[in-house]
Amino acid sequence: MSNQKKRNFQIEAFKHRVVVDPKYAEKTWSVLEHAIHEIYNHNASGLSFEELYRNAYNMVLHKFGEKLYSGLVTTMTAHLKEISKSIEAAQGGLFLEELNRKWNDHNKALQMIRDILMYMDRTYIPNAHKTPVHELGLNLWRDNVIHSSKIQSRLLSMLLELVHKERTGEVIDRGLMRNIIKMLMDLGSSVYQEDFEKPFLEVSAEFYMGESQKFIECCDCGDYLKKAEIRLNEEIERVTHYLDVKSEVKITNVVEKEMIASHMMRLVHMENSGLVNMLLDDKYEDLGRMYNLFRRVPNGLSTIRDVMTSHLREIGKQLVTDAEKLKDPVEFVQRLLDEKDKYDNIISQAFCNDKTFQNALNSSFEYFINLNNRSPEFISLFVDDKLRKGLKGVSEEEVEIILDKVMMLFRYLQEKDVFEKYYKQHLAKRLLSGKTVSDDAERSLIVKLKTECGYQFTSKLEGMFTDMKTSQDTMQGFYSSHLELTDGPTLVVQVLTTGSWPTQPSITCNLPAEMSALCEKFRSYYLGTHTGRRLSWQTNMGTADIKATFGKGQKHELNVSTYQMCVLMLFNNADRLSYKEIEQATGIPASDLKRCLQSMACVKGKNVLRKEPMSKDIGEEDALLVNDKFTSKFYKVKIGTVVAQKETEPEKLETRQRVEEDRKPQIEAAIVRIMKSRRVLDHNNIIAEVTKQLQSRFLANPTEIKKRIESLIERDFLERDNNDRKLYRYLA
Amino acid sequence: MPPRASKRKSVPPNSSTVTSSDGRSVSNKAKTKGMEKIDRLFNTYANSSLGMIDPEGIEALCADLGVDYTDVRILMLAWKLKSEKQGYFTREEWQTGLKALGVDSLSKLKKALPELEKEVEKPSNYEDFYTYAFRYCLTEEKQKSVDIESICELLNLVLGVQFRPQVDSLVEYLKIQNDYKVINADQWINFLRFCKEISFPDLRNYDANQAWPLILDNFVEWMREKQS
Repeated sequence: MSNQKKRNFQIEAFKHRVVVDPKYAEKTWSVLEHAIHEIYNHNASGLSFEELYRNAYNMVLHKFGEKLYSGLVTTMTAHLKEISKSIEAAQGGLFLEELNRKWNDHNKALQMIRDILMYMDRTYIPNAHKTPVHELGLNLWRDNVIHSSKIQSRLLSMLLELVHKERTGEVIDRGLMRNIIKMLMDLGSSVYQEDFEKPFLEVSAEFYMGESQKFIECCDCGDYLKKAEIRLNEEIERVTHYLDVKSEVKITNVVEKEMIASHMMRLVHMENSGLVNMLLDDKYEDLGRMYNLFRRVPNGLSTIRDVMTSHLREIGKQLVTDAEKLKDPVEFVQRLLDEKDKYDNIISQAFCNDKTFQNALNSSFEYFINLNNRSPEFISLFVDDKLRKGLKGVSEEEVEIILDKVMMLFRYLQEKDVFEKYYKQHLAKRLLSGKTVSDDAERSLIVKLKTECGYQFTSKLEGMFTDMKTSQDTMQGFYSSHLELTDGPTLVVQVLTTGSWPTQPSITCNLPAEMSALCEKFRSYYLGTHTGRRLSWQTNMGTADIKATFGKGQKHELNVSTYQMCVLMLFNNADRLSYKEIEQATGIPASDLKRCLQSMACVKGKNVLRKEPMSKDIGEEDALLVNDKFTSKFYKVKIGTVVAQKETEPEKLETRQRVEEDRKPQIEAAIVRIMKSRRVLDHNNIIAEVTKQLQSRFLANPTEIKKRIESLIERDFLERDNNDRKLYRYLA
Repeated sequence: MPPRASKRKSVPPNSSTVTSSDGRSVSNKAKTKGMEKIDRLFNTYANSSLGMIDPEGIEALCADLGVDYTDVRILMLAWKLKSEKQGYFTREEWQTGLKALGVDSLSKLKKALPELEKEVEKPSNYEDFYTYAFRYCLTEEKQKSVDIESICELLNLVLGVQFRPQVDSLVEYLKIQNDYKVINADQWINFLRFCKEISFPDLRNYDANQAWPLILDNFVEWMREKQS
């Protein structure tokens, strides 16, 4: 704007006085009032929207908004009071219908009224902070109709009565319900909640409390749960049909609380039909239902889990301590596997593979398997049985499945080192007697053990396999370089590396001349190629195949142990031998000799020898002769096998002692390892760390750990701290 | 004198003296007037061929002091002298020890004994004395433990006055248990700690999960069984 001379142009406000007809407002209002009446009387067709709108507009413009508004309130209120009366007058079931109809009418009217008064809605009302027309209409309806003393309680009780009817099996007018409920929702969530939802939930709670009490007295667990499920689904359906969607979770909570949570313990422990029975009978459907229902309530699943766990532990404990069942180790382990399968199925079929249940299952098994300290031995015997004959003709995949199941039991063992000891013994016997069904299966299991426990666990086992293979090669080499021997007795030697195989006391005996010469040749051959080694013959572990001709010319091939062979060969040069003579000639230790003679003279079908006298036991004064009358329908007769058996008591003690001895250096190594890295550590922490480190092999005993610590202190590996007696210090 | 752990007389330690032609020991150090008297006292009891006081000499010393040779005060004297070998006092040990005691005659030594007791009983010295008592029993080279019999007597001697009930029970237990035939230094020091820290005879504050040696765990278990 340039700085020009100020002109005298000014636009002034219109000073012209407008005289408004004082009666103008009255006149206009009565027009509108009349229109409202007409609208409520369903006579709106004769009205001119444009004219009414203009009237309302003018009133607001001329500052008569207040009058218009209050007039609206008064008029509408009056009409609603009328409507209220007509609703009250309706009888019985028609009450709701009338209410519904009048509500629809009111909405239509409200719509038109608001259109007419739109200008006021947009200008006067916001400025004067008044309630907008539509909302006003709803509030007035609420205050004058719904909350009218005669209607309010009647409405609620009618609604609740209908719900109850439906619950007891009657069919109701759902559409009408929906409309009424929607009306309440439209009036505001607080109206819906206060005038319907809250009482609805209370009444429902009472209903279901009664219902559940009734059912639980007369139904068994499975039936009760079915009924509860039905009711629950019913309520959900009810909500979708005619209630506010937000009510779903509230009503389901009520049902869950009354029908499930309140009776949870009683259901689970119900005699003859509770959880335990369902588990025993594999009732997958019932169990699944219980799982789905209980997961909805607090502590529901943990209740099921706890009962399942304690039941499992009980059963397991019985299984492992039942003396009868312990007589057959293979049967014992099979029962464990069956039990595991059963529960795996239950968890996958009924409990949705819930991990927490899987964990509970695992911890229960771990608990009771370790209650019996022969479990490691038995599991090894089970494997032994399978690898000897159980897996004959079984497909590769099935073999894998069975071995995986065994591995799973293995994982539960706390004393894995005991298992290792037995497994080694049994494997040795299998390998040496050539009695394994499938080399692949053996190796597959070793691989699984390696994956589980690390290389250290299986390195010796693998060493055993290597020895077998190497021995084969050695034998080939031996015979190809000693072609002159191919006509004589065939020698098969297995050279075992001492560290890998279970330690055996090496007892020699006097071999027959033919054999000892052959063995010597082998020894010099072997030592020729492997200088610096020492060979010791394990005559208590060998076998022999002998061809024998008996008195009537019957020929048989006998498969015997080395000891038995030594004895039998003596009879090539004598018809009758006394016990003492045999003992002297063979040099076999007395107890072994007695067992050996017993197996050949006292067992039906294998009695290639005859004993005088014919008693069952071998006495030092007895004499032995060849049984010329020996018969067998088989050409090949097997006498004396080296089958892995359940250990006798003294053997068991010995193995356990050896295991305990082996553990000592392992504990010490762990202590030293830990102290070397930590330098200073207190007592409790050492115990905890050592236990953790050794966990994969065995459960270390705190007392034993303490003993080892003291031993290390004595040997100046560790010392106690001078000030704090509980601290240990590593001495480099 | 505390009981010897071994009956065999082992080789005495080297004394820092040179034997002269007439058999009398001559110290390498310069002789002072005070030292002369101490020295002379030494010679009264010393075995001239060994150049040190041997068990016989000590017995004689005890007789002169009017003290039984199994009395704990002789052990305390050995401690004060820092005597290395049980049953023997070297010239050096004798000299240093008597000088520390501030005595140079037999009568003064006799008078010093009660003070010595008080000195030993001071908390700062007591543990040292206690540990010394055990070491004193290790007569063989590389010996690390002492047999149960000797330990029991040692306990009586050393702890008997202050911890009579504990010692009585402990000795009873040690004699009947079979787990341990000897006691090592670690176990020994823990006996003292046990007496000092654990309320007796209720054993209320004993916690087996702490780092007490296993022998004490077993002892406490035995006591508790006895008491129930």
